[in-house]
Amino acid sequence: MPESPKMIGRVTRCSTRGFVGAMQISENALPVFGSLCQAEAQGGRSYVVGLVYDISITDDQFARQLAALDEVPQEQIADGQLNRQVPVEFSALAVGFHDDDGFHQSLPPQPPLTLASVFSMVPNDAVDFTSELHFLQMILNAPQLPVDELLATSLRLSAQARPEEERERFLLQAGREVARLLAQDLTRLENILRGLRAKE
Amino acid sequence: MGIHLPSLLPQMQEIGQALYERSLQVSAMIPKATNALHSTAELDHSELQSRIKKAGNRWPGAIPTEEALNLTFPPPTAPQSLHVIGADGSQIYPDRHAAAFYYLINIGSIVVSHGSGKAPTIEHESRLFFELEDLYDEADHPVQNAYVNLRRDVAEMKTLAERAETLAGEQTLAILDNSLLLWMALQTGGSISRETDRTLQQYLKLLDRLRSTKTGLAGFIDRPRSVSVLALIHLAGLPDDQINQETLRLTPFRGLTDRAIFTKLLPPGHRSALFISASPLNRDFRTAGHEVHFFYLNTDAKGTVVRVEIPSWVAQDPELLNRVHAGILKDCQTTGGFPYTLVRAHELAVIPPQERAAFEDMLQRTLLGHDLRPTQSQKALTKQLTGQRKQHRL
Repeated sequence: MPESPKMIGRVTRCSTRGFVGAMQISENALPVFGSLCQAEAQGGRSYVVGLVYDISITDDQFARQLAALDEVPQEQIADGQLNRQVPVEFSALAVGFHDDDGFHQSLPPQPPLTLASVFSMVPNDAVDFTSELHFLQMILNAPQLPVDELLATSLRLSAQARPEEERERFLLQAGREVARLLAQDLTRLENILRGLRAKE
Repeated sequence: MGIHLPSLLPQMQEIGQALYERSLQVSAMIPKATNALHSTAELDHSELQSRIKKAGNRWPGAIPTEEALNLTFPPPTAPQSLHVIGADGSQIYPDRHAAAFYYLINIGSIVVSHGSGKAPTIEHESRLFFELEDLYDEADHPVQNAYVNLRRDVAEMKTLAERAETLAGEQTLAILDNSLLLWMALQTGGSISRETDRTLQQYLKLLDRLRSTKTGLAGFIDRPRSVSVLALIHLAGLPDDQINQETLRLTPFRGLTDRAIFTKLLPPGHRSALFISASPLNRDFRTAGHEVHFFYLNTDAKGTVVRVEIPSWVAQDPELLNRVHAGILKDCQTTGGFPYTLVRAHELAVIPPQERAAFEDMLQRTLLGHDLRPTQSQKALTKQLTGQRKQHRL
């Protein structure tokens, strides 16, 4: 049975270049750095494809007080993780969108709206989306992001979404595309390729 | 302009000096008051009761129970598994300058099941009051803030009762972040006395429900300013023939609180003897079988002494009394001597300014949707305009 997308949060602020979502803390539902997600846009007629590049959990005085104790009862840890309205945010870079014609690797025509549902992308869709690699340029162009780590992690996760026998071929193809894009910057290229190899 | 700080500078010196001198005076009184407590404890119980009778119905002291006044009681063993329920409330008061005349009560509650390892269950309940009978008293006067407080207190107790009923038969402690005595019932000005009395009866029925679930019920009062035990000590020291309203008022312990003497007396985790509140309001509670007793409790190693109020059916049941004593200590372990459940209940109940603004915005849009033109009073509008003025930071 194909895996159904898991809702991971709702959009709290957005632009065509990306969006920020908030959610309840639950380790199972927590998105992963470098993973793909989708947010509803245009009244449900399209989905913006995002690449998660940051997950942040803001602290507060009460959490700090409890954290400083030698021992915190399990009930209070569970309360802090599941009940308290601690602001947990994830940020995603827009790397494409999906409409009636399928996936496109360019900025979406409209951003998702506030409180739009954000879903993790199921492996089949991730394979479909990453069958083209134009989105790598969008990652490399993103300012002030941990671009090299993001790119390497994203490609590794995309490889894992594929059947085992296809993974190496995908990574080789992606490595070649990265080499083409970073032909003028061999230091970064080496860094990314090392990242791709590290956890193969 | 806000506070004119330069004009307050001389008074700053005065307040600092005055508070310093008062702290010296209070410190000097503590040994005297503590000795007086020990002397009072040696008095014959019937003699003390006879003096209390002489002091009259309006005497605001503490009535001793069978426990010796100066005894302290070590922490009992806490049950392995214990449900602790906390409830707290907040409100938006009625404001004649606002776009609509209403008030809102918001209740937050939590059940922490100690020993379960599970996440607590939390609930919020918000209710808007806008019907004419909610907003005007029997004499057609707009309701006062004290009446809103009264209804909030009842809503808090109702939440405790409802949540306790879902846990009937299990070891449960319910903590209210307030006195159990419905003090607000005395402060509503009498203008809605029938309604106040009806509300008090509702409250007492909620206590009946809690009693039937065998829940350990406690009102938790942090940093109490009460002087009722000191009033008892003063009364005990007066010559029998000199007990009258004037001598009762002339206490040598002015400025001191019960908390100060019990901070000296109670080791960490210990509770004081039980006392009964002599408040006139307690008569209604006694008639209904819920006479309010209290004790002081040192809730942590730093010497945080709080006042804990319990109904008579808890005071007279050793198992329930121990559950309250041990349960509060357990619930205070990680939060500096204040119960975790109340910290969280408050957090759930409080209405932050941005949420209040969002609610008022929603209300205005609703009114517009019904062809009403909500307008604030000119006073409220001008306050908003002047409040937005940017000022230089100090």
